[in-house]
Amino acid sequence: MKSQGTLHPVTQTVRKAVMFFEKLGFDVFEGPEVDTEWYNFDALNVASDHPSRDTQDTFWLKDGRLLRTQTSNSQVRYGEGKTPPIKVIVPGVCYRNESTDAGHETTFLQLEGLYIDKGVHLGQLIKILEDFYKYTYGDDVKIRFQTGHFPFTEPSVEFYARFKNKWFELGGAGMVHPKVIENMGLDPKIYSGFAFGPGIERPIMVKYGIQDIRPFRLGDLRFLKQF
Amino acid sequence: MKILKSWLKEYIDFDLTDQELADALSLSGTAVDDFQSTLDDKVIIAEIREVSPHPNADRLRIAKVWTGEEELQIVCGAPNIEAGQIVPLALVGANLGEDFVIKKAEIRGVESFGMLCAADELGLGADHAGIMILDASWTVGKTLNSYIESDTVFDVEITPNRGDELSHLGVARELRALLKKELKAEKVLPELKAGNEGLSIKIENPELCMQYHGIKIKNIKIGESPEWLKKRVEACGSRSINNIVDITNYIMLDMGQPMHAFDAKKVKEGIIVRKAHENEDLVTLDGSVRALNEDMLVIADEHDAIALAGVMGGANSEIEADTTEIILECAEFERRSIRKTAKTLNLSTDASYRYERGIDSGALVKAISKATSLILELAGGEVSSDLVSVASPRVVEIAELNYEKINALCGLKLKNEEIDKILLGLGFAIEKDHVVVPSWRHDVSIWQDLAEEVSRIYGLNNIPKASIPVTAAPAKSPYYFKEFIKDILVDEGFSEVYGYAFMSEQDLKVLGDSADDLIEVANPVQPEIKYLRKSLIPGILKAVAKNPTFDQVLIFEVGHAFTKKEENVYLTIATSGKQAKKEIEAAVMKIADTAKIDAKLFNVRELTAAEVERFKIKKLVTCVAEIDMDVLVEAMKKTDLNPEIKEYTKNIHYRPLSKYPSLTRDLAFLVNADISSSEVGDLIYSISDHINRVELFDEFASDKLGAGKKNIAYHLYLQDMNKTMVDADANDIIKKVVDAVEEKFEAKFRDK
Repeated sequence: MKSQGTLHPVTQTVRKAVMFFEKLGFDVFEGPEVDTEWYNFDALNVASDHPSRDTQDTFWLKDGRLLRTQTSNSQVRYGEGKTPPIKVIVPGVCYRNESTDAGHETTFLQLEGLYIDKGVHLGQLIKILEDFYKYTYGDDVKIRFQTGHFPFTEPSVEFYARFKNKWFELGGAGMVHPKVIENMGLDPKIYSGFAFGPGIERPIMVKYGIQDIRPFRLGDLRFLKQF
Repeated sequence: MKILKSWLKEYIDFDLTDQELADALSLSGTAVDDFQSTLDDKVIIAEIREVSPHPNADRLRIAKVWTGEEELQIVCGAPNIEAGQIVPLALVGANLGEDFVIKKAEIRGVESFGMLCAADELGLGADHAGIMILDASWTVGKTLNSYIESDTVFDVEITPNRGDELSHLGVARELRALLKKELKAEKVLPELKAGNEGLSIKIENPELCMQYHGIKIKNIKIGESPEWLKKRVEACGSRSINNIVDITNYIMLDMGQPMHAFDAKKVKEGIIVRKAHENEDLVTLDGSVRALNEDMLVIADEHDAIALAGVMGGANSEIEADTTEIILECAEFERRSIRKTAKTLNLSTDASYRYERGIDSGALVKAISKATSLILELAGGEVSSDLVSVASPRVVEIAELNYEKINALCGLKLKNEEIDKILLGLGFAIEKDHVVVPSWRHDVSIWQDLAEEVSRIYGLNNIPKASIPVTAAPAKSPYYFKEFIKDILVDEGFSEVYGYAFMSEQDLKVLGDSADDLIEVANPVQPEIKYLRKSLIPGILKAVAKNPTFDQVLIFEVGHAFTKKEENVYLTIATSGKQAKKEIEAAVMKIADTAKIDAKLFNVRELTAAEVERFKIKKLVTCVAEIDMDVLVEAMKKTDLNPEIKEYTKNIHYRPLSKYPSLTRDLAFLVNADISSSEVGDLIYSISDHINRVELFDEFASDKLGAGKKNIAYHLYLQDMNKTMVDADANDIIKKVVDAVEEKFEAKFRDK
């Protein structure tokens, strides 16, 4: 008998998400990891001197491009030239320039979701996220929504799950900002949409009680073969 | 930012528990990270039952104290305790502030399980004469804070768009909207005489300084702040300096308006707001010499810069112990300019932080009046100039108000009046088809911004949920083909690894390649790791080396690789161990067959001795293969394959890895053929936390084993988080495992 092979825990989690969203008609797009400032920031309504750029320490490349800080770079990339309904999820690697320790990693995954159509509203965003996390963690999971702040959504939302008596932040979401819809070449007077972008590794860590994020990328089979 | 409950209550009445307040704020966008009562819940009301002398110390006594649940022995040095008194008791674990946590102690040979408290130890005054004696009617066992109102410090995280909330008034305004209450009437401040007498203020760059208000106060006495002021400023995380500086800080924490006081004697003539000159220097209050440039705005007198506008004051005009006359500054500066200056000088202050996010441009006169009034009260003196104001007309922001659109975007059906009520509560003025944005908000300009206001005050969690229409799934994207390939490899016994996109000069050597077509990172975390990988091979070989305890390493990675020209997704496979060559060839062949392509495209090769050495791989044979995923996907699309993704349903029993050596044991059982090997595996995991991993390596039925029987065999990896795993401990665990499996599954352990 052969040794048992294993899929990386992040791959397993993304797969589960794809299985949920494909049933609703979502496409899967991965997008580039090296991207321009336009797609990663400007097209998303993040002004060049906006304080929110402070909170995202970016890896800049010598040719002026960057390593995407978020899978939201794919919103305008995927949306431009398409006719709604636009439904896509974007699982992908993102980068932040910070020093690595048990709680921080330069390299991590996000799962972007984007839905643009006529009459898309906040109640639908809340429902789809709640359904998704019930599917992921079981019907008993408690999910709550808080107002957040992202330049590319208005209203903006943060969503949390209750684990071990604590609210744990899963990610950010919101109604796509009219400027972002415009940057896709669509008329925000006709179309609205929602987007969300939870992280992948942290919920896995919380679920299994993993204290350190680094083993996800060290290739140590004693860690990986447990999944 | 720290927010005190007592301070909020000066602005608004509310009857919420701390948790309720934290939740209400968090849900509507003012995230409360944490809150702490100044009177810890572990300080309870207790009754002294008996007092006896300490055998080894004359000044100490031993009290037997009833907590309502048990009697505790407490060693106490206060002279005023007697049996029968009701007193505050800090239990073991109680936090009395500034990291003073009560621990179980032995005091001169007698154990003590807590502390009886004097008023000052609880932050309830300066009294240290003796233990606080409480009202005899208070219930023993209850927390002290259920009788004595304690303050609570909320740690609040304000998002960059909500500069208006960087103050107690700001948070109180937020509560007004949430709780649908009114703010309390504030004390009327004495009106200051406005004019141009006694102080000259000139603004050279009105585009960068929209308003500047100044006033002179003479005959003041610099001194310590009164206790209440010190306490508030310190509870909010500032250091108490002197009465004047504390008052300017207090106004900032209170109203969000940064203020500054200059020593009037050190300011020659009047105040000039101008851009810094080329090569101008300023020693700021922190003692650093700041090299200024012409983009930076300064406050100056006739000769020199005396402050870095909106960021920090200058040492040359600093308030000192002998200062008797001050110029009080209350100004509004352009947000971007302050941000740029603070960034350029790498100097972020409480003031620059607030200016960058926008202050209440309608409250400056009130702020300077309040500060003046406090200074006169706490430092004496008299106003010696007019309140001099230089201001450009304020730009009033408006936003479209469209009830229908707001309801449509939020998925709500609110009546116009309900929406009006929410907006009015937040300080918006409603005018037919638009709103006038309050002077403290700088983040509202379009109707979608109003939709956010409505949704957050109405409550996101109260919005009716609705499904989106289901549409047909689009054609399978490359993702599905990629995952299909991964499944083939997992079936072949390979494990998936994730690596990093970065690569060093050293890694390049392995590839035997030049850096010519590599993308370079401008700001790498480590200077030597500055390239983006053009191949996954160096990374996967490092992963091989990470696994010396495995006889056989079979791994793969699917990831992006980069050159100046293009970004590609590669599949990279590595095998290491005696059979490495055979294993990689078998795996590659399987994929090549599925995709109907030539296996040569995988570039399978065995590592040279030099490479093995360089990567510190301790195995005989190591092989790698790499292929462009696009080539594979395109080929697969030409076949009739329909890649469905598989879900993995195995039970995961995660155990952290010990840094100490582990042991491996193999176990085989004879069981009925219908027993699930994964259920047996789950049971094995449950026996001990020391079992880091259970891996099935053999499962077969044979006539030799008996009809309806099969053999199942597992590798067990045993570890101890605190020490090396030793045989004796391993044997104990194995025995428990064998007993449990035999009992639950009617299995027979197959001893070798």
